[in-house]
Amino acid sequence: MTAPVEAPTPVEAPVDEPVDEEKLVADRIWVVIVWNDPVNLMSYVVYVFQKLFGYSREKATRLMRQVHYEGKAVVSSGTREKAEADVSRLHAHGLWATMQQD
Amino acid sequence: MGRFARTRSGIRVTVTEQEVTLLRRLGDELRHVYQVDDDPVYGRLFPSAYLDPTEEEAEREWQALVQPELLRARLASIEAMGATLDRAEERPRGQEIVLVDDEPEAWLAVLNDARLALGTRLGITEDTDYDDLDPEDPEAPAYEVYAWLTWLEGDLVETLVG
Repeated sequence: MTAPVEAPTPVEAPVDEPVDEEKLVADRIWVVIVWNDPVNLMSYVVYVFQKLFGYSREKATRLMRQVHYEGKAVVSSGTREKAEADVSRLHAHGLWATMQQD
Repeated sequence: MGRFARTRSGIRVTVTEQEVTLLRRLGDELRHVYQVDDDPVYGRLFPSAYLDPTEEEAEREWQALVQPELLRARLASIEAMGATLDRAEERPRGQEIVLVDDEPEAWLAVLNDARLALGTRLGITEDTDYDDLDPEDPEAPAYEVYAWLTWLEGDLVETLVG
């Protein structure tokens, strides 16, 4: 005897959700970049990173060095709104900051 | 010896009479450059947030939202520094002012903006050696002010973090 062959349960084909490209792009995080400039003092930049982001002296110094030697550094990230707020706080302190999606 | 010193009552700054006059003048000059929005100095003090040209609309909205606040804060710092200069007291070492609460931050904001404005105007680069200036150079006085600001601001930052 052979076991009756059960009719295969129709496997529900995964519904191909249309990939919403715009949504994917919208969900990508924003990064805030500080660019090197020839005027701002290194000690001042470290001070601002610590004050605005609560970074340790070490982390703030590492970021400052990255800005100085590599030309730029990502200093914070998050939603578009957070990035806009961070950029405006950096501009208020005279740092040259921009934002873009990662 | 530095110009700023942390004391029990606040951060004491000692300046000369000429420096008080210069600081007031720098504040007035900044008030002026904040109004001239087609100047590179303005562009340096109020940069764009978005590099991506397709974000032009977001940039405009962001500018409309934050620019008035950034300007207001800058003017408030100049105002606050001016008020501290008004209470400078003649002491043997010079004009003394004790900065309290947010006043050191107001000084820092004005000194930093003045350096940014002057540095942009002079086209300062990382290789600019302003210790080796021709005194006959018509821009020599401006470089001198820039060097003085650099020294004064560095001293203030050191005092704030120290």
